Amino acid sequence: MILGVTAEQEELRASVRRFLADRAPITSVRELMETADGADAGVWRQAGEQLGLQGIAIPEEYGGAGFSFAEQAVVLEELGAALYGGPYLASAVLAATALLASPDEDARKRYLPGIASGETIATLAFTEEDGSWEPDAIRLDATSSADGWQLDGRKSFVLDGHTAHLILVVARSGDGLSLFAVPADASGLARTVLPTLDQTRKLARLDFAAVPATLLGSAGDGAAVLSRVLDVAAIAQAAEQLGGAQRALDMAVEYAKLRYQFGRPIGSFQAIKHRCADLLMEVESLRSAVQYAAAAVAEDSAEVPVVAALVKAYASDVFFHVAAENIQIHGGIGFTWEHDAHLYFKRAKASELFLGDASYHREHLATRIGL
Amino acid sequence: MELDLGPEIAEFRAEIRDWIAGHAPAGLAELADWSDWNNVLLNRAEETKHPFYTQWERALADARLICPHWPEEFGGRGLDALRVSVFNEELYRAGVPRVVRGMGERLVGPSVIVHGTPEQQAYFLPRIISGEDVYCQGFSEPGHGSDLAGLETKGEIDGDEVVITGQKLWTSGASKATHMFVLCRTDPGAEKHAGISFVLIDFKDPGVSYRPVRQMTGAAEFYEDFLDGVRAPMFNVIGGLNNGWRVAMTTLSYERGGNASVLHIAYQRNFWKLAGTARKRGRNTDALTRQKLAWAYSQVELVRFAGLRALANLAQGRRPGPEASINKLFWSEYLKRFGEIAMDIEGADGLIRPQGDGYQTTSWQHAFLQGRAAPIYSGTNEIQRNIISERALGLPREPRGAGMTRS
Repeated sequence: MILGVTAEQEELRASVRRFLADRAPITSVRELMETADGADAGVWRQAGEQLGLQGIAIPEEYGGAGFSFAEQAVVLEELGAALYGGPYLASAVLAATALLASPDEDARKRYLPGIASGETIATLAFTEEDGSWEPDAIRLDATSSADGWQLDGRKSFVLDGHTAHLILVVARSGDGLSLFAVPADASGLARTVLPTLDQTRKLARLDFAAVPATLLGSAGDGAAVLSRVLDVAAIAQAAEQLGGAQRALDMAVEYAKLRYQFGRPIGSFQAIKHRCADLLMEVESLRSAVQYAAAAVAEDSAEVPVVAALVKAYASDVFFHVAAENIQIHGGIGFTWEHDAHLYFKRAKASELFLGDASYHREHLATRIGL
Repeated sequence: MELDLGPEIAEFRAEIRDWIAGHAPAGLAELADWSDWNNVLLNRAEETKHPFYTQWERALADARLICPHWPEEFGGRGLDALRVSVFNEELYRAGVPRVVRGMGERLVGPSVIVHGTPEQQAYFLPRIISGEDVYCQGFSEPGHGSDLAGLETKGEIDGDEVVITGQKLWTSGASKATHMFVLCRTDPGAEKHAGISFVLIDFKDPGVSYRPVRQMTGAAEFYEDFLDGVRAPMFNVIGGLNNGWRVAMTTLSYERGGNASVLHIAYQRNFWKLAGTARKRGRNTDALTRQKLAWAYSQVELVRFAGLRALANLAQGRRPGPEASINKLFWSEYLKRFGEIAMDIEGADGLIRPQGDGYQTTSWQHAFLQGRAAPIYSGTNEIQRNIISERALGLPREPRGAGMTRS
């Protein structure tokens, strides 16, 4: 196992951070979060063309850069720190991992190059209206006939589902769960963007009425694909949460040094110092965990399912704790719309709930370690 | 997954593994569960008198693998933190003990190496390596714990001797020690930090007496010590008269760390033992208990991940930062909570102690009570939070108030 940060990863981090500071600063995040799309197409294109971010972990044979998930985790951390609102997690993680995990080589060749370049925005629709993250809860109907497969039913909480060009759908037929590809302009598909608590992260409801769909792999192999995707996505989400937590902690510490009350910086009071120390301990522990988890994915370790549940639970606790304390340490200004603290607070709660909260993942962890 | 630390470390690991295989006496591994090697109690274990152990001790001594992190000129092997960790891991893998010299190895030696004169180094260091001199620590006092620099033990200069009078507290291993490293005030007129000296005293001196302090666990692992006119030659003052605070800071910087990559092993063992208890009591299907156990499992893994990351950073030539304080805060808060969870799982059985003299406890009752120690010893967690916030985050120091003057 390779752990620790290589010089290339440091360079990657610096260039992603520079790019985001320049092209997706918090002022633009605020503008875009008020729009339905939530992303700037020019920035997305540049991220693909100039930095190759969308394809960083996609193998070269499918048009990607062929780096490992350890590098993608660095990108995700920076995107999380910047509250980037584009469809990266949906397309470069959820959809790309589903395709890579699927046994359908033709589909990989067809779809991955577009996802890798950023030209295709893809997503994965698996959750339904009951809000369950469990594959067993999936009910959306897939039926096959002489004309091929068609889908009927409703998906919800679909990340960037309203802007994606390609929707990978997990649906149920007599064979169990299967993975299907549906283009955004398919007949019978209606997409509704949902108003989100975290406006920087867009979710959609998708209604399928006799929508023609292409089966990927064979009928019934969707469950295995989905379980791999959920583990990798949990770790990817944790990497984003790490970035957000670190940024929120930096904000709190900086403010504690500048803000004077009673003739002293508030950061000289132990009530504030000790909180910040606890937060740093948590963020540093999370950083160790994310590095380990990313290495586990990169090496396709058998530990991935256990580590995924562990790191998603911990990241959810840590980011929320830091984001909440950041508001408290800022005092009144931290409660205003004008200050950015609430954006991190909302992202923290949203990324905690998305893919399952800490208790959900701890229960998975308990099962996976054999309790 | 095994950590890849690069070819040089892999070569070192193979070399150490071969050496252990070639030198560890057959039967040593079966003699005891040595994985608790980091515990200072190991020095006092009966098993260390066994011929297997003494043969192993000689082999390590010949290979300069006792105090292996000390520079070669002082009798060590000059291993850096990364190689010491690899050495520890290989000993653990082989099931054989690291022969440790306790506080002499970890605290006194490094302080003498940094602050001692060549004559002091030549005299004191070999006696630590050979095991002839066994040290206990004389820092804390009844009135001065976290505010160590306020210490009141007097050191009066009488010709070429220092005469030490005062009381020390929280001394572990006093009954087995031959020497104590003491902080005493040799210049009462100087500013708080300026008048302190670091002195090595003979703990068999007639002016020394001590008695055990019974803890809330019922056990007595610490002592309070009474120093009444204990005489030490000026030769035993390390770092020069009235310069003891700087020496003490060196000592404390060595107090933690070095075992980061094996720290989790004992925690893992205890976790699975508790999971077994939960199963036996049928609590492993209870949702809340599962949450608590999954949490505990996570914390132990986080200790392991932090240790691996620290090693990887060392391998890449990064200097350690405030990890020691962060790690101490993390694992001590974990141990505290782990003991509480254990008692939750015990339920009503936690109410009853085993029969027997004194205050006997079950292992879970012990874990529960002992959990209150770690957040206090080796620098309270409040002191650790000060260190983390000031040194890692750059937050301002707490203004010093009336506490500037000694009481």
